[in-house]
Amino acid sequence: MRRLVDVVAVLLTWEVAVRLLGVSSRVLPPPSAIAVQLMQIPGVVFTAAGYTVTSAVLGYLAAAAVGIALAVMLAHVPLLERSLLPFFVASQAVPVIAFSAIVILWAGNGPLSKIAIAFYLSFFPVTVGTVRGLQASDPMAVALLRTFGARTWTILWKLRFPTALPYLFVALRIGTTTALIGAIVGEWFGDNRGLGTLILHALYTEDTVRLWCGIVACAVVGAAFYAVVAALERRLVWWPAPALDH
Amino acid sequence: MNPDKLTLERIAKTFAIEGRHLPVLRPLDLRVPEGEFLTVVGPSGCGKSTLFNIIAGLLPPDPGGVLRIDGRPVDSPLGRVAYMPQRDLLLPWRSVLDNAILGLEVQGVPRDEARRRARETMPQFGLAGFEDFYPFALSGGMRQRVALLRTFLFEADIMLLDEPFGALDALTRSILQEWLAGIAVRYRRTILFITHDVEEAIFLGDRLLVLTARPASLKLELKVPLPRPRRPELVTSEPFVALKRQVLEAIREESLRSFSTQATVEPG
Repeated sequence: MRRLVDVVAVLLTWEVAVRLLGVSSRVLPPPSAIAVQLMQIPGVVFTAAGYTVTSAVLGYLAAAAVGIALAVMLAHVPLLERSLLPFFVASQAVPVIAFSAIVILWAGNGPLSKIAIAFYLSFFPVTVGTVRGLQASDPMAVALLRTFGARTWTILWKLRFPTALPYLFVALRIGTTTALIGAIVGEWFGDNRGLGTLILHALYTEDTVRLWCGIVACAVVGAAFYAVVAALERRLVWWPAPALDH
Repeated sequence: MNPDKLTLERIAKTFAIEGRHLPVLRPLDLRVPEGEFLTVVGPSGCGKSTLFNIIAGLLPPDPGGVLRIDGRPVDSPLGRVAYMPQRDLLLPWRSVLDNAILGLEVQGVPRDEARRRARETMPQFGLAGFEDFYPFALSGGMRQRVALLRTFLFEADIMLLDEPFGALDALTRSILQEWLAGIAVRYRRTILFITHDVEEAIFLGDRLLVLTARPASLKLELKVPLPRPRRPELVTSEPFVALKRQVLEAIREESLRSFSTQATVEPG
């Protein structure tokens, strides 16, 4: 409720300021104009959002699955971890988005290339986060399970994986953003559908209001994606866990 | 005399730290008859926990040492000894009931059966009605009892308790000591119990070992001929105080010795 009031207050201030100061619609349209435009082309925006979200979510799910599987492997094979993990961590500093053009060349203009880019951007953080989480188990708790006769897989399932969940979800929340960025930017490199395309077309035709429609749609979709994962996190990690957000 | 449950023959441990050899445990021979409550005291850092880690199977002893359970040598005691470390190590995502059955689950007992057994035993551990609570809602004393129940339910004839009451306040501690003494009499498990609290060691034990400062060896072995059940007021009785004086003296000598040799490498 409080948040709703905040949002309405911001929108009102925006509306009033733009009108009072006589700001041109080309620079910053009032929210009412964006709303009107959205009402006129709901189908266009919906279709575009649907396309982009599908690529982002598919890439994201693949990233989560591959990232977790890879992390389990890395956490259990010290040699792999020592040789691969530093490379992964370092690669997070590289703007991998620069490779997008290559991905379009390889995977074409369709959804596959967007899924690949979304996957690529999300799976590094998921892998690194999960490895950290899998290694965060209390060594004494591991020892305790061993005295009960537990082997590697039992320890993974009963102790390491639940311990890793909070770490995993920090990465998964970051992943929603990176996957969406991947899908949108992927469209800029080559596609004729999606929110990225809608924004690019609006830019070329200097249709500022339509541009803002695209931005609003991206924001809503991104927030919703994040909210779904955060809700899942609250359901699965309900016990008091160490605070991991920086 | 009952047959020996646990036998240690020349069990020793030397750690290699940065190329230097650090003997932690001198070759130790020990026989623990079935059903005995054996308490082990020694100055801090003397290697008590190393001894327990070896008996639990977490650390291999130096070559030449033999560990026997029921007279038969065992390669690895993993899965055969119920070990309770100092901290309760309850899993925050498991309820009290499910924490208690962790060992049984690993042993392969079906979950329903394990839960049934845990439910039956809960009242003796003062946990009736707390089955569905989660660890973060429990007091320290209660968490420790859940950990004890987990250790107890695990199907092993030998229980290793490493300072289970070390982190508790004095009052909770004394209540739990009396309770554990009762449990031990009732179920006749073979129990090895580490503590640095001399009073606790005498109050609980049938027999008491004092270890020397590192490298640990046997400093003093003492029968505790006090009748059971033991009540808290026992600690002020004449025979109890006499035993305590004897043990304190032995342990004080060793503490002073370990204090003056602290400069050696600390164990990891």
